[in-house]
Amino acid sequence: MFAEYKHALRRLRGRIIGWSIGLGLYSLLMVFMYDAVLEIMGVEELLSAYPPEMMAFIGVTDIFAIMTPAGYLDAYFFTYMTVIIGIFIIGAAGAMLVGDEERGVLDLVLAHPISRASLFASRALALITATIMILLVCWLSWAVPSGRTQINLTWLEFLLPFIPLLAQLLLFGALALLLSFLLPSARMAGMLTGALLVGNYLLMGLSRLNDRLETAVKLTPLYYYQGGLAVDGLEWRWLAGTMAAALLLTAAAWFFFRRRDIRVGGEGSWKLPLLSRD
Amino acid sequence: MSETTVIVTAGLTKSYGPVQALRGVDLVVRQGEIFGFLGPNGAGKTTTIRCLLDLIRPQAGVIRVLGLDPQADPVAVRARVGYLPGELNLETNRTAEQALRYFNDLRGNRADWAFVRDLARRLDLALTTPIKNLSKGNKQKVGVIQALMARPELLLLDEPTAGLDPLMQQEVYRLLREARQNGATIFFSSHIISEVEALADRIAIIRQGVIVEEADPRQLLSMSLRRVRIRFREAVDLRPLAATPGVTLLAQDNAHATVQVEGEVDGLIKALAAYPVSDLETERPSLEELFLAYYEGETAGENK
Repeated sequence: MFAEYKHALRRLRGRIIGWSIGLGLYSLLMVFMYDAVLEIMGVEELLSAYPPEMMAFIGVTDIFAIMTPAGYLDAYFFTYMTVIIGIFIIGAAGAMLVGDEERGVLDLVLAHPISRASLFASRALALITATIMILLVCWLSWAVPSGRTQINLTWLEFLLPFIPLLAQLLLFGALALLLSFLLPSARMAGMLTGALLVGNYLLMGLSRLNDRLETAVKLTPLYYYQGGLAVDGLEWRWLAGTMAAALLLTAAAWFFFRRRDIRVGGEGSWKLPLLSRD
Repeated sequence: MSETTVIVTAGLTKSYGPVQALRGVDLVVRQGEIFGFLGPNGAGKTTTIRCLLDLIRPQAGVIRVLGLDPQADPVAVRARVGYLPGELNLETNRTAEQALRYFNDLRGNRADWAFVRDLARRLDLALTTPIKNLSKGNKQKVGVIQALMARPELLLLDEPTAGLDPLMQQEVYRLLREARQNGATIFFSSHIISEVEALADRIAIIRQGVIVEEADPRQLLSMSLRRVRIRFREAVDLRPLAATPGVTLLAQDNAHATVQVEGEVDGLIKALAAYPVSDLETERPSLEELFLAYYEGETAGENK
């Protein structure tokens, strides 16, 4: 199992480095921007001048909260990161096994003495490790230089919002993985999960503007996402619920993979009637 | 199951939606033999092999590989089996050596690396070359090495010499014979008649998901057709030649003739002794032509 884990992690190496550098630099920029934002003359008046609908749509309900470390973290990092890092995990999870199957590589791997359970677990663990590594770089990029700024948070306080972010990412990753076994291709699974994630993000913004969406939004995962506000303490029930949902989806994905005929040449696949040319 | 049987399938049935790929495949492969599995495209060869490794699951039937049920204990089966897929795909961003080391890791590092290097030398494969830079034939060599390197008890090879040049084909045959001498059983599918002739102790022919014949390969070859082009020194009367049993006159033009011979060529040679022959050229049919002739015979028999 370790051999496959090591191999899967090595395959993700390029993406780990790329995403870590990009998001690490963005985090560093945002850390040092904090003091500049505070020092801008009349920033409070400027923010007050924004239409409340626009601020609500990007996740800021209290204009002045954006001036606090938690509000700043939320508005400039954590609100967006579900979607941004979501692109990474959805793409990687959707292709985790089905991508190899489509390229005809999985056939030979599974002809070796490795059980489907080991293969599934090794690759899922490698993907979780890769995601944690990217988040760790982001955390360090916020926490390490923060002493030179007016962001008055401990390293642990910086760490807390990354936990619900990880949970949300795992949830959408697990959904992409499950859909990859149910839909005709890994790409389609990634596209559908990505659309659901972005749709959920937009619905969150709209629900702040329209109370009638309140009931609908409660049924979506991002409603239970604390974002940067987790600096003040974790909402454990939300976190446990999100993790439980991620586990449930992963278990369902495992159920379908265990029973799956490993494809070569596309046998056993199906087509969406509306998209099929035949 | 007897102690000496390595593969047993009974009533193996597999469908892909409305397509019935296997319709009750019964097979017995004995320990130490080289078993050729023949059939036209889409007959069910690959599906059968992939069922043996639990890569796909049959709807019905019994499978035993090395005395084990692949569905109940797939890891134990695969630990003792080397597999070469018909459509070999490897991760392209690695070298041949990295790919082989990964497969060896999955096998618990059972392979002797000196043996791997020896296989690479014999197959003339540079292990440091990235897979993406390898030709189809060289990728096939990587596939052959990964199947052989852990010295498995059973080799399941789907078109083992596809893409290899004739010299390398011969080397692969030698490697397979050596594996057999070391106790391995070999089950391979093929389209190449010379491959079957060179390797197989016994063959089975699958057609439309059913085994239609199990035989000695010599029996298959005895059914084989040959096309013979003959050039005579002068125009001749071909009627006595055309009357020779097993010989059919296909074409004639002045001092040239093309005949088809069914079975042994002894009758043709004896008949030609009476003619002023200046040149003779024989051509062996492809396996597909052989299948066609075989099936036509079967169908004709059924119609009677």
